Amino acid sequence: MRFREHEDLRRTHLPVVKSGGKVCGASIRRPLSALLIILAVAAIALNKPAEAQNGTFTVSAAPGGIAFAAGGGGTLSGQFGTMNALGIGTPGTGVTVIPLSNGTLYLTKYQITISGLPNPHRGAVTAFVNSNFTHPAALILESCPSSSTCNASGNFSAISLLAAAPTAVVAAPGITDQTVTAGLAIFVPDNNGASSFTGVDTARITLTATDTTNNKNFATAEIRLDTPVGETVQSAVRLTLASATGGLTITPGADFSMNFGFVNGLGFNPGAGLTTVAAAGGVVYSTPYVLQPAFSAFRSTTATIKTFVSTTFAHPTVLILRDAAASAGPYNNIGTTAGTATQITTAAPDRSSITRFLGLFVSNTNGAAAFQGSDSATLTFTMTVP
Amino acid sequence: MKKYFTIFTLGMMALSTAAFAGTTATNTNAVSPTLQISATIQSAVQLTLSTGTAAVTHCAVTPTGGTPDYTMNFGTVDALGINAGNCNKFAPTTPGTTNAIYWSDYNLNPVFTSQTTANNTITAQVTTDFAAPNNIFIVRDSANSSTVPAAVTDFAAVSTATPDPIVTNAASGSTQTRFIGVAVTPANGPGVTGAKSATVTFTLTVQ
Repeated sequence: MRFREHEDLRRTHLPVVKSGGKVCGASIRRPLSALLIILAVAAIALNKPAEAQNGTFTVSAAPGGIAFAAGGGGTLSGQFGTMNALGIGTPGTGVTVIPLSNGTLYLTKYQITISGLPNPHRGAVTAFVNSNFTHPAALILESCPSSSTCNASGNFSAISLLAAAPTAVVAAPGITDQTVTAGLAIFVPDNNGASSFTGVDTARITLTATDTTNNKNFATAEIRLDTPVGETVQSAVRLTLASATGGLTITPGADFSMNFGFVNGLGFNPGAGLTTVAAAGGVVYSTPYVLQPAFSAFRSTTATIKTFVSTTFAHPTVLILRDAAASAGPYNNIGTTAGTATQITTAAPDRSSITRFLGLFVSNTNGAAAFQGSDSATLTFTMTVP
Repeated sequence: MKKYFTIFTLGMMALSTAAFAGTTATNTNAVSPTLQISATIQSAVQLTLSTGTAAVTHCAVTPTGGTPDYTMNFGTVDALGINAGNCNKFAPTTPGTTNAIYWSDYNLNPVFTSQTTANNTITAQVTTDFAAPNNIFIVRDSANSSTVPAAVTDFAAVSTATPDPIVTNAASGSTQTRFIGVAVTPANGPGVTGAKSATVTFTLTVQ
């Protein structure tokens, strides 16, 4: 998109006047006054022709960035696509995902070209959100200045919602006859509770080019994030397991694994990360572990977590999985069906870390029912956000 | 054309409602990661000793936490049975000819798990005998039972060469009471007095 104009010559905005509860704007319309101004400007132009030369301000898609469709009136239209606060899934073309501790930043890059300004004039660019998302708690527009690499979340900051205090995109003193790359991002924060939102939303950003020598705005452009449909916010859930301090190592795999190593019915020599707890008929080897729930775009601010033994040990009377809230117990058998799943919590907050204790009961049985060797079982954890 | 593009886009959005497997999902309210738990069961055996409770008096079995595992002290003894010792004694049948025996009860506590059989034995053997001139030696109840011995003849020397079976097929976790002591011979000569010690090794075998 290329947009060239000189607003100060065509129409002069007076300060906004607020009166009687109404906000009014006004322009100079008296023919005589306008004529005088035009003559005065023309005289100045004749004396200083370089200053009268208008710059060219172009906003365009960057290589590797999202595609923009040029519209009428100096607009660019596009969209980031489908997003969620946990950064799950493949982002839209030209969008990079940076998961953060409180949401996810979806970013892209675009180009700004300023040319045609008289030497030594330079042009700076600012941005503000002229039409914000209707769900501002779910979608936040952010900008990265052209002076930055725009590859990390720290390069971005929220775009001003105020025309009077816009966000610098190409900082003063600006550029001339040059193309620079800037960043545009949508931060999708974890957003549960009353302000939660899933669906499609749109926004518009105004970019203003200013000749920093005479401090005059010489062009504007608008980026519309509404094409073809706008930005789509999804709900998202994630439940991961992690090793607890002093506990067994939990290895990510399909999905997670944990090895109690060598165990025996007497509790001798528990391995690193294990403690033993006396139990009738054997011993319980115990380890702490951590549940890490995360979810966004739900009305509820808490989730429930349950677990059950979805694949039992091949020797289910010798090895039994048990659960406890504390290291010392009590340890209770974990249910072996989805219908009898053991409830771990009914109030897991988003992005919390819940330490729990997993016990492996080892029977001291001898004789025909005894077993020596390796065995394995699978626990299925289910987090549900009501 | 624009109409068809919009329809296509909406169609793709509908398809995108499919949840991701494993630890994450979108457009749904539940996720179910799995945790595989592995373990290797080993068989285990344990044999502990403790102070007896069957006889009139008991010499304490004291765990050391090191080597040897336990100690028992019969106190001051003599071949005529004059000294009381720390627990029980049988005076010699023929003083100056036969031996005096100072003895105590003690408990054996065998425990074993994940064994394919419950058959087991506990043996005792003197692995470090008293020093020469060997006028004192280790004895045990010859009946290999929990019956309290009544006379010197109820004791036999503990072998220094081969393990002596003292318990057979005890239940895991049970307490087995036995009796052990020292026989003091009436031998005379150099080195027959003073503090002396020996070591008995108990072995639990499940097979």
